[in-house]
Amino acid sequence: MLEKIAGIIVKTQDYGETHKIVTIFSKKIGKFAAIARGAKKPKSRMAAVTQPFIYGEFLVYVNKGLSTIQQGEIIDSLRAIREDIIKTSYAAYLMELTDKMMDNHLPDPYLFDQLYLTMQWVADNDSVDIPMMMYEMKLFAIGGFAPTVDQCVRCGRKELPFSFSIAEGGLLCKQCKYIDGSRIDLPDSIAKLLHLFMAVGLERIGTISVKAKNRQLLREILDAYYDQYGGYYLKTKRFLKQMDRLH
Amino acid sequence: MYYPEPISKLIDSFTKLPGIGPKTAVRLAFFVINMNDDDVMDFANSLVKAKRELSHCSICGHITDQDPCSICQDNSRNSSVICVVQDPKDVIAMEKMKEFSGKYHVLHGAISPMDGIGPEDINVPDLINRLKDEEVDELILATNPNIEGEATAMYISRLVKPSGVRTTRIAHGLPVGGDLEYADEVTLSKAIEGRRDL
Repeated sequence: MLEKIAGIIVKTQDYGETHKIVTIFSKKIGKFAAIARGAKKPKSRMAAVTQPFIYGEFLVYVNKGLSTIQQGEIIDSLRAIREDIIKTSYAAYLMELTDKMMDNHLPDPYLFDQLYLTMQWVADNDSVDIPMMMYEMKLFAIGGFAPTVDQCVRCGRKELPFSFSIAEGGLLCKQCKYIDGSRIDLPDSIAKLLHLFMAVGLERIGTISVKAKNRQLLREILDAYYDQYGGYYLKTKRFLKQMDRLH
Repeated sequence: MYYPEPISKLIDSFTKLPGIGPKTAVRLAFFVINMNDDDVMDFANSLVKAKRELSHCSICGHITDQDPCSICQDNSRNSSVICVVQDPKDVIAMEKMKEFSGKYHVLHGAISPMDGIGPEDINVPDLINRLKDEEVDELILATNPNIEGEATAMYISRLVKPSGVRTTRIAHGLPVGGDLEYADEVTLSKAIEGRRDL
């Protein structure tokens, strides 16, 4: 069935001399793989539209297995991302995480909007940590391993202060925190932010100002949490670490 | 099982080549059997020679049968301009153009955030050493115009610019014989950006 589908290219893979297999995350039919025949030829009309991070509209023969792209037009090339190596590496991380967490042909319009908003944020801003973490936490929920961040994971108490326990999978209140010796005691603002990241979409965020120290703490918590529960090795994470070492 | 052992081994060898499936491998194997002995020997020798005698040039990283390669040894070439390419095949493509008389540096890959290939995984350190040892005025970044190529070019330009060496990027735009009507927005905007006076 020939369908017009708008989506973001999350992954591309060369196929033979001139073809490409692209993975598209769309609002309409979720994530799917499609072959773009001839997309590697220099004069191909699909060469640009099948580049990673492109948000485009594609005319696709949809199949249960591999679909076929007939045509494509760029809606937003997110050019600022591809012109900055740091932004490229962040975007690549978002794409790989999305690819790993999402099942094929399972639409999630809310997550699609969050991905596009996050990509736009990455394109337009230099400080990208907070929107990235907001999106990551929503993906953790899709992956089925979201941390409990609205109450104590053990007793359900909602009063501050909280600590974060990787082993217990979320927040621990002041009474329960002693069950995990390697817990991370959180400033109240961080505990509130974690809840906000999970519950609120990026469209409701205007400007975010979080102290560098707190941003670092949040990053460490999410990284350690993903390492414990994520289950997939992320190649883009290795690249981000190389970039960090070099700058 | 159906073929005598030498033929099945030959078929297995052909299937290791890219783009060769089992049927094509059988066809090629039988073609080889029907070739005359001298041609087969030449073919086998070429394979072995190509594998044994080729190495990477210790200066530019291009594939060569002598070290340094013929391009690096050529004193008539302008050694103050280095063209950085991803692959030895790109050197051949540039040489076919016959308009570039500088020297080359082959990276043997490109930085790819998607595949986790970072600057430490390609031939960048040798390039930096060359810039220290040789008198270079210009570095032409001729990596492919895709995400990986752009990331590589951006990284190298960031690294090199503080040293004062002029860093340029090959132009992007419409292919010769192309059609403006069918060009996409990204290519067109690059073409407009890179326009020049006539």
